[in-house]
Amino acid sequence: MEPTRDLHATLTDLLDRVLDKGVIINADVIITVSGIPLIAVNLRAAIAGMETMLEYGLMTDWDEMTRFRERENRKEKVLSEART
Amino acid sequence: MSANNCGRYVYCIAEAGEVLNFGDIGIDDNEVYTIPYDSLCAIVHNCSAEPYSSSDKDIVHRWVISHQRVVETALDRFGTVLPMSFDTIIQDTDEGSAEDNIRKWLVEEAEDLKKKLDRVRGNEEYGVQVFWEPNTLAGVISQTNPELRKLEEEIRSKSKGLAYMYKQRLEKLLKQEMGKEAENYFKDFYHRIEGCVSELRVEKTKTEVDKQMLINLSCLVARGKTKPLSDELENINKMDGFSVRFTGPWPPYSFVTVK
Repeated sequence: MEPTRDLHATLTDLLDRVLDKGVIINADVIITVSGIPLIAVNLRAAIAGMETMLEYGLMTDWDEMTRFRERENRKEKVLSEART
Repeated sequence: MSANNCGRYVYCIAEAGEVLNFGDIGIDDNEVYTIPYDSLCAIVHNCSAEPYSSSDKDIVHRWVISHQRVVETALDRFGTVLPMSFDTIIQDTDEGSAEDNIRKWLVEEAEDLKKKLDRVRGNEEYGVQVFWEPNTLAGVISQTNPELRKLEEEIRSKSKGLAYMYKQRLEKLLKQEMGKEAENYFKDFYHRIEGCVSELRVEKTKTEVDKQMLINLSCLVARGKTKPLSDELENINKMDGFSVRFTGPWPPYSFVTVK
C-alpha cells in the first residue's frame, strides 16, 4: 500500500506533528506567553489564546504532561520487554 | 529595527552556511530567508515578539500548513532539515538582537543539532496507524476460544436467571481475551514494522468513531526504501478486521524533539 500525502486526509497528522513535535528551543531568548515560556504550556491551548490556556488550567497541563511522561515510560518498558 | 520586527519565527534548521532568500512563502506571506552561522542556518521570517495565536481553527490550520510548506521547501533545497515546533519565536534581549540570539543559539546547540541532523539524514518520516474492529474480532474469538465456547454451550442449558449470570461471565472473559489479543497484535505488528524501518516511536493512540486505534507509530525510513514497509502494511491491511493508515513522507518532526 502507498502512503498518502493528501492535505485534507492528513491534516490531523500534520497538526499532531507541527503542534506537538519538532525541535523545541529551551532558552530565555524564546518568546513567552504572559511570562510563561511556550515550552512549558500546552501549545495547542496557548495558540487558542491565553483565555483558553487558563481554561485548560496550567496545573492540569503540567499534571497531564507528567502523566503522559509516565505512560510513555511504561510503554517503553512494555516494548523493551516485548523486544526481548 | 522596528518594534514589530523584533522577533524571528524559526521554521527549521538546516546544514548549510549560506544566505538565501526563499521569497514570500511564509506564514501570512512573510518573506522567508536564512540566518547562517558556521555550517548551520536557521530558516526564518521577521515578526513581532508575539506568539501566533487564534481561537479560529481555520486560521491556525492555515498557519500550520504554511509552516509545513516552508519546511518542505527547505527540505527540497537542503536535503536534511530539523523542523521546529510551531510558534518558535526568538526575540530581542538586552544582550542582543533576535538575529544575534539565533546565531548564539546555533553556536551553543551546534553539537546537539548536528547529532540530530546525523540521526535523520537520508531518512523520511512516515505515520503508521493500525485500526481494528472489535466486533469482528470478538466474533472470531468467541468461535475459537475453547473456554468461551464451553461457556456459550452451557448457557443454552441453563434457566433464564442462571443464563444471565453466565452471560455476564462470558462478557467479562471475552473482554479479557480481547485485551490479550490486542496486546499480542500490538507486539506482532510492532516487530513486523520494526524490521522495515530505521527507527520507530510509539505514539499515543486516539479514539475514533466506529474503529479503535490499536497502534500509532512514527517511522523513520531511508529515502526510497519504503517498499518493505509498504508491503508489510499491505499484509496487515488485508487481515480481516484490521485497517492501516499510512501517511507521509513527513519532515522528521517526531525524531528531533527530545534532546
